Amino acid sequence: MTTSHWADEPLDDDPEDSVRPYTITHGRTVSAHADLTLITIIVALTSPEEQLGTRGLEPEHRSILEACRRPVAVAEVAARLDLPVAVTKILIGDLITWGIVAARSPAPLAVGQKPDTRLLQAVRDGLRRL
Amino acid sequence: MGYDDSDRRDGSAHRAPTAVKFLIAGGFGVGKTTMVASVSEVEPLRTEEYLTVASVGVDDVAGVGDKDTTTVAMDFGRITVSSELVVYLFGTPGQERFWFMWDDLVHGALGAVVIADTRRLQTSFGSIDFFENRGIPFVVGVNCFDGHQDRTVPEVREALDLDPLVPVLMGDFRQRSVSRDVLLALVDHLA
Repeated sequence: MTTSHWADEPLDDDPEDSVRPYTITHGRTVSAHADLTLITIIVALTSPEEQLGTRGLEPEHRSILEACRRPVAVAEVAARLDLPVAVTKILIGDLITWGIVAARSPAPLAVGQKPDTRLLQAVRDGLRRL
Repeated sequence: MGYDDSDRRDGSAHRAPTAVKFLIAGGFGVGKTTMVASVSEVEPLRTEEYLTVASVGVDDVAGVGDKDTTTVAMDFGRITVSSELVVYLFGTPGQERFWFMWDDLVHGALGAVVIADTRRLQTSFGSIDFFENRGIPFVVGVNCFDGHQDRTVPEVREALDLDPLVPVLMGDFRQRSVSRDVLLALVDHLA
């Protein structure tokens, strides 16, 4: 029994079906925070009550704040908002610039070097509990 | 970035975990999302990205440039190890020629699992070549649905022309214990 999944299927290339990707960002295509990655963890710095006062935010900004009340990866935010990663990063970058979201970069990995042994042991311990 | 915001206000970034990621690669329909789903604590999430790639067209008489934007989609899952560490598993998109250029997906991966199907081993060649060339450690997992094994590990190893140090495991990746053991073999391979 083989389960084929949609993500394996070639996507429809018909340009008539596509929406211009950067409409939500008002045409901006580059995040102000270029170091955001798929697994950068973001978290809101304001309480929901304070967020009520954040006037001028786009609905997508508010959705991101809602999504990151607990720490969450950029990729998860993109998935929850059903937005492409590039667009999500631009919107998250806005929130970082405005000081209402903090970001934590993934553990640095030098090319060709072995990962930290304590990190590997922690991953191993976590997998064993599965 | 990183820790630079961690002292703001309530210090929320201090409480944010570190994230690591593994890639789950392999050919079309080979079971990548199946493996992600078997170990993820959440239903696999899906997201997409726009990639700008060199156009392969040769008779582009309009001469409107040689770049093209395409959309690739991937599924991913999450394993929360502790309040300080989260593991993400990213299933690579089916269209290899695109995701190979997706730097954010590849960069910073601790390692990869290449899933192989013994009936179509050639569909794994591209991923194996890619990880070898990029110096990203990987293991090979042979997906045997319902325990059906029509090739042995040495046969697979030879057919894929693998470095003798690369672990090869067989099993049904719908089973959490099988997927977990493949990931553990990858972690051991990294150490």
